[in-house]
Amino acid sequence: MNAIAGRKEPPPGVSNLVGIVLVSHSRELARGLADLASQVAGTEVKVEPAGGGPDGKLGTNGDTVREAIARADSGQGVVVLADLGSSILTVRHLLQGKANGHVRLVDAPFVEGAVAAAVMSSAGQSLEDVAKAAEEARGASKF
Amino acid sequence: MPAGVALHARPAATFVKTALRFRSQLTVGLDGKVANAKSILAVLALGATGGTVLRLSAEGEDAPAALEALAGCVSGLVE
Repeated sequence: MNAIAGRKEPPPGVSNLVGIVLVSHSRELARGLADLASQVAGTEVKVEPAGGGPDGKLGTNGDTVREAIARADSGQGVVVLADLGSSILTVRHLLQGKANGHVRLVDAPFVEGAVAAAVMSSAGQSLEDVAKAAEEARGASKF
Repeated sequence: MPAGVALHARPAATFVKTALRFRSQLTVGLDGKVANAKSILAVLALGATGGTVLRLSAEGEDAPAALEALAGCVSGLVE
């Protein structure tokens, strides 16, 4: 039985994969990691950066995160990774009262979690499995 | 592994995506290390380089097809 063959084919031009959002204090860090994850996993996965404050300086911004989640969402759910501290608070604040499980903030190392999640999503796996891959990245040795 | 190809990020992702098509438990071994073939981080941590021999194993209902697909994937890897 082939997990991918069992999946419904998305309409042409529409990704039917779990989206990934990367929230960082740094716009460059979020963008760079989104590039890395996309290059490894393939560009069919939507990996959306949400970095930097409203003024473009270091910081986090709820509107930037909300827009990134909207771009990443193809209907299969979105996994959100955050770098540290107030990034997490910003995402939590945004999801407050809207926690229906469709958008999932995961407790995962930023770089490894993003790459693991993107590869898992690119193979057409579920929101649950993509989130789990990101969280399991914590225990992975690099060599 | 074909000579000149290392199991680094992109080839490793191709390998893992192939493994994820199957239900069986799949592992890939090198030099006494064994990695879950469905985990990109575990496969990357093997640090497999060109010309090395990988030991593939599968356990489950679709094990033969999975082994065949993974072996084909490895031998067909390009930079």
